[in-house]
Amino acid sequence: MLKRAIAAAAIVATAVACAPPQADTTDEGADRSSGELKVWLFQEASNGPKEDVVDQAIAEFEAAHDDVKVNVEYLPVDGRASRFNGAFNDPDSAPDVAEFGNTDLAGYVASNGFADLSGDLDQWPDAADLVPEVLDTAKIDGRTYGVPWFTGTRALYYRTDVFTELGLEPPATLAELTTTARAIRAAKPDMYGIAVGGKYLFALLPYVWANGGDIAERDGDAWSATIDTPEARAGLAQYAELLRPDICPPAQCAQLTGSQTVAAFAGGKAAMAIGGDFNRAAVDAGAVKDDYAVVPLPGTEPGSIAPAFAGGNLLGVFGSSERRTLGWEFVTLLGGKEYQRKMYDAMGTMPTFADVQDEIAIDDPFLAPFIETVQAGTRFVPATPAWTRIDAQAVLPTAVQQVATGRQDVDTATSAAAAEMDAAFAGS
Amino acid sequence: MRKRAADLACVLIALVVAFPLYWMVLSALKPAGEIQAADPRPWTLAPTLDSFRRVLAVEDFGLYFLNSLVVAVAVVALSLVASFLAAVALTRFRFRGRTVLLVMLLVAQMVPVEALTIPLFFLVRSFGDVVPAVGLNELGSLVLVHLAFSLPFAIWMLRGFVAAVPDDLEEAAALDGASRFRFTWQVLFPLVAPGLVAASVVSFIHAWNDFLFAKTFLISGTDNRTLPLGLLVFFKPEEQDWGAIMAGATLMTVPVLVFFVAVQRHLVSGLGGAVKG
Amino acid sequence: MLPQVTPAAPGVRTRPARRGPQRGQARAAALYLLPTSVILLGLLAYPLYQLVVISFYDYGQPQASGAAPLVFLGFDNYVTLLGDPQFWDVLAATVVFAAVCVVGSLLVGTALAVLASRANPLPRMLLFLAALGAWATPAMAGSYVWLFMFDQDFGIVNEVLGLAGHSWTFERFSAFGLVAAEIVWCSFPFVMVTMYAGIKAIAPEVLEAAALDGASATRTATSVILPILRPLLMIATIQSIIWDFKVFTQIYVMTGGGGVAGQNLVLNVFAYQKAFAGEQYGLGAAIGVVMTVLLLSITGLYVRAQRRTS
Repeated sequence: MLKRAIAAAAIVATAVACAPPQADTTDEGADRSSGELKVWLFQEASNGPKEDVVDQAIAEFEAAHDDVKVNVEYLPVDGRASRFNGAFNDPDSAPDVAEFGNTDLAGYVASNGFADLSGDLDQWPDAADLVPEVLDTAKIDGRTYGVPWFTGTRALYYRTDVFTELGLEPPATLAELTTTARAIRAAKPDMYGIAVGGKYLFALLPYVWANGGDIAERDGDAWSATIDTPEARAGLAQYAELLRPDICPPAQCAQLTGSQTVAAFAGGKAAMAIGGDFNRAAVDAGAVKDDYAVVPLPGTEPGSIAPAFAGGNLLGVFGSSERRTLGWEFVTLLGGKEYQRKMYDAMGTMPTFADVQDEIAIDDPFLAPFIETVQAGTRFVPATPAWTRIDAQAVLPTAVQQVATGRQDVDTATSAAAAEMDAAFAGS
Repeated sequence: MRKRAADLACVLIALVVAFPLYWMVLSALKPAGEIQAADPRPWTLAPTLDSFRRVLAVEDFGLYFLNSLVVAVAVVALSLVASFLAAVALTRFRFRGRTVLLVMLLVAQMVPVEALTIPLFFLVRSFGDVVPAVGLNELGSLVLVHLAFSLPFAIWMLRGFVAAVPDDLEEAAALDGASRFRFTWQVLFPLVAPGLVAASVVSFIHAWNDFLFAKTFLISGTDNRTLPLGLLVFFKPEEQDWGAIMAGATLMTVPVLVFFVAVQRHLVSGLGGAVKG
Repeated sequence: MLPQVTPAAPGVRTRPARRGPQRGQARAAALYLLPTSVILLGLLAYPLYQLVVISFYDYGQPQASGAAPLVFLGFDNYVTLLGDPQFWDVLAATVVFAAVCVVGSLLVGTALAVLASRANPLPRMLLFLAALGAWATPAMAGSYVWLFMFDQDFGIVNEVLGLAGHSWTFERFSAFGLVAAEIVWCSFPFVMVTMYAGIKAIAPEVLEAAALDGASATRTATSVILPILRPLLMIATIQSIIWDFKVFTQIYVMTGGGGVAGQNLVLNVFAYQKAFAGEQYGLGAAIGVVMTVLLLSITGLYVRAQRRTS
């Protein structure tokens, strides 16, 4: 009763207060070893196999811990922002453990969302086998906030039947890719030379990086946009060159996202596409399942590989969790070697441990080009909360679309993008 | 002769207006191969429930459906009572500040709801500390906010109906010794029932279609998810699964449609009542 | 401010002041208004007040979850917004787009109401059922259905018109046009049902008298029917303005979040992308406040113009 009275008084107090509402996230410091462990994982297009693996892990975990019940909820990836933000604003609704995309990490950490696991990782022997560049995507300012669960790397899918018929070889450079794509569309007007999209950021990035540019650079604590440097402009121009009527017409391609370009390839509408190892199931389910192969996306020089974006998902422990130790133990189980291997078997996701990667590469030639790409070096988007905003405002896709539709030239579009990015970095 | 032309025009326009709905149901029933065909046909010879099966395979679909229904019905019932009383006060009583109140009701509809989600989130969170049933993660929180968002329009709509009831009736009732309260409930309420139906339609749609607040307030706990949240998985054009999208759209539309057709007669006569003022 | 918005047909006597002391009425009114007031003050007015407060702060996700201190900005959010040339572009597009939708819904709705009033019961019922179906369709569902009908590869429209591969959403005006068509489709029924009810409520004697006077059909429509319907038309217009100015779902779904390079943004979607998706709630609140003020002014201007002409 008293509690209610206090709560009611608190409402009145906030009502007259003249400042915006804020959550109180002072840590109560509890660390229980029993009860319900709440876990959020992402819902995949076909979620069954993932659930099977997770259920095994839960059974094993519950058998090893008395009085612990693990409760998993699968969230649609699209609605994740409101759920995570809700959980940060209301710790009572927050889970203990969650899967999240590595590009979201900086924003989550700025909201005190996830617990610093650096110390725990030091104590965990298996952590030494995590691929260092992948582990870097779980770090902000030197602190680690998650265990990489799987990675996603993109490479070049192409149609073996079309290439054979036209007597073509997989392109050895990005410039050659453009001419090859043009030649294919000239011979087969119903087909996109390569399916690319105005909204496909992770296909644009390798072009920028391969040309020696980057979208932004860090100087101490400050970030500044570099998309308007000559190298980055050359990369963006080269990518936008693909969005032309003689390769991938802007009327069809300017609005495409990554998954849509892969869908176009899988449906036989494109001779090439930039797709991830995680897209394998979608392509195998399509019309071209027996007629495709994958090579690393080439760089600007023959024999080089364009740096790929190091996508992937992490498993972390919520900062507000009252079962931190238990949560960490569950993360090391589900994110550990055994279950990463099981996830690979069920979902085809690429493990984050070097030894597990080597192990599966032996029996799965499909993965070779992806592993080759990873080993050639991967890059990442700016690890700052401002990235959430830049991404939400579609700054870079807008620049590509402006160029592709011919409304702006590369210099104008990239200068505008750089200005917007700098505004976001400055937090204004 | 002219009447026949009007009849013909009515039927033709009805067909055009209904076509998107027909196309939605048809596409939901087409087998996958026909949906992706380059030459879509306005019929199918091999109707299948495959698309519906994919959508209905969503875990706890029935529960989500029920949750949505509970929220919508609660909003309709509560908004009827509250808006009826308010409409009576605003039309049959004279008091200072009446016009101001009317204008406020209009202003209330102008605020973009997306902008209010953050303040409402914290408000609902505080409610939860006092009355758990209307806190975050509870259906009660959705009922409350939809009530607030549907009331202004419902009151606006009802004012006309209440005003249409002749004053003589009230005077006669007063002479018979009926109290104002009894008159309101026993005479006025049944008389404006058609108007109430018309107003409830809009409240129902409001509550039934909501994604925004369901997404914002229902953070943890799958048990209280509403139907749109469950269907969100399918509304992704990226997957190009038009069959499932159309099946999901059909499942969302049908309950509202049933509700509309059920109250259709009252809707038209109800709005008619609003004019006789 | 809006007394004549009351849907009262002319010729109806104005209500005599009720007997009894004014104070008793005020008390009863207060009692009857109590539930509504509690709900609206608590769940609309108070959040609205907070919205205004938030718009003066640098308020993002870290601030909301208590991980970063609040910084009072004064009018900075408003300055940022009003200094953004894109805001003015989007505002202009929104006003024109909303105007097209409002006029379209009113024209189609009124024309069909007149048509329905002249038809026999069965065809009329068919028309009403179809219209109610369109009205009942959730915005999300309707947007996807229209998008699918106009899909460049699998859509029935391109098949019928022989435009295989034509994209309806690539050009700015064609994309806006498509969305406007969907909006008119789902919002004309409200106008139609309202106006039909209005036409039905016109006493037959009035029309007979006009006919006896030898008035032509057009004459009857403009100088007899229209004035009677004016109050209703005004309600329908105000509601349409409010709804169409705030359109979100249709644009967001059908143009893929605002069209190629943001060419199809309207204010509400702009607010979402500029502020809410990027978690700048302070700026988002400022946009919300500006939108409310704009809507209020537009409606106010409309009401004033109506007053002057009537």
